[in-house]
Amino acid sequence: MATAYTPTVYGTGIKATVQRLGGRLAGMIMPNIGAFIAWGLITALFIDTGWLPNATLAELVDPILKYLLPVLIGYTGGRMVHDQRGAVVGAVATMGVVVGSDVPMFLGAMIVGPLAAYLIKLVDGFTESRTRAGFEMLVDNFSAGIVGAAMAVLGALGIGPVVQVFTTAAGNGVEWLLHHNLLPVASVLIEPAKVLFLNNAINHGVLTPLGSAEVADQGKSILFMLESNPGPGLGLLLAYLFFGPRSMRSTTPASMVIHFFGGIHEIYFPYVLMKPRLILAVVAGGAAGVFTFVVTGAGLVAAPSPGSILAYMAMTPRGGYFGVIAGVLAATVVSFAVAAVLLGFGRGSDDETPGGTPAAESTETAETTGPTGPTGATGAAAATETRDGIEPQQAGTTHTITDKDGAPVMKEA
Amino acid sequence: MASIESKDIHKIVVACDAGMGSSVMLAGQLRKQLKGSSVTVEHTPVDRIPADADVVLCHVALADRARATAPGKPLVPFQIFIGDPAVNKLVATIKSGGTVNA
Repeated sequence: MATAYTPTVYGTGIKATVQRLGGRLAGMIMPNIGAFIAWGLITALFIDTGWLPNATLAELVDPILKYLLPVLIGYTGGRMVHDQRGAVVGAVATMGVVVGSDVPMFLGAMIVGPLAAYLIKLVDGFTESRTRAGFEMLVDNFSAGIVGAAMAVLGALGIGPVVQVFTTAAGNGVEWLLHHNLLPVASVLIEPAKVLFLNNAINHGVLTPLGSAEVADQGKSILFMLESNPGPGLGLLLAYLFFGPRSMRSTTPASMVIHFFGGIHEIYFPYVLMKPRLILAVVAGGAAGVFTFVVTGAGLVAAPSPGSILAYMAMTPRGGYFGVIAGVLAATVVSFAVAAVLLGFGRGSDDETPGGTPAAESTETAETTGPTGPTGATGAAAATETRDGIEPQQAGTTHTITDKDGAPVMKEA
Repeated sequence: MASIESKDIHKIVVACDAGMGSSVMLAGQLRKQLKGSSVTVEHTPVDRIPADADVVLCHVALADRARATAPGKPLVPFQIFIGDPAVNKLVATIKSGGTVNA
């Protein structure tokens, strides 16, 4: 087990912290993906180059992008900090940064929404015990109104212009990477981070806001496809289907459907975590996909979320199918090929006894064959000694975590 | 370590990062498997596990965050999303009675 979870770069504590921070960023975007998709559909259909050009309906495009989406993000960010009151103040404050800049203010909304909510939370804490009976509603309404108005002014004059500089700089950075063909290198960071469950943090915390700003300029963005390409995961699962441990093969087709069509990429993370060297396969696949997207000038009009091939097709601009499909295919083929090599084309998998449950079996294999033999053996021994069937899992898990922290092994179990 | 008798389990919470993707899928599977029992299954973001959860399920990679959000609650970490032995064991325990130690 110690070998099965090999997130070596981060200690467990840091990993959880990074996950949590990223989760907060993503948490402001993800509940609003429906609005992003609505906007993507309207854009793909009604702009000049769309499927059904219509000048009247195309009027929807700009206000949704510049006002509705940032305000929704600021609202959601505020709600995360201080429920409904935080949401309202966050939304008002977001209007400040929206008006205070010329670019779509996703980043600004992600900053000012929670910040304004935090302020009203502080104010509420201060006034709550000091408000005379019967004056609560008056105080509550006006404190929210005053904080909201103040934050909107601050946003328009101070925060908006500053964030605009950052947004522009980030956009230029991406442009630079694109022009120098360096974007595929991003996969080296993205794919490992993904299987550490930072997938939402990266995609929705960072790439969706940047990509949406780029769409405003260019009508499509490649940034939506860096993390969400279902190709690398599909290639990996295909390799498992043909060359993986025999016991794993039966669940793989269902995983492929959930991954590729359902867009739930989490389903393949365990397959990588079980045999960490397979990270090379998804990195190579991801890079091949991005490279193909760059070469063919592919892009999507909005975030394809979840990362399903169906979402990809729905978010592809008219005439852009070749590059998008080619990139997904290239990623699948490369990831499959590398994973197949790393799995030794199925050699050595036959000696694992069939029967028994897949995870238990592969877990045991990992434990007994892993480089950290002694500690792994401890975990396995503990697992066999425990009477309760749930315990081996728990024991192994605890073992892994404490082992990395350097704390006493098996402390909790 | 927390433990709970199967008859005291009324609500299982499946947690994932956003509470929108994999947790919804697993919660749906569990609901099907637990059809006929009085146990409700919910899905939430791992940072917002509700206080009335009796048992928490999440992927091992998110277990630290789940422990921070719901300290002292029985937590069953799993590794794979389909047919994980830990999840199967939990279902079996709820159906046939016994103690969940997690």
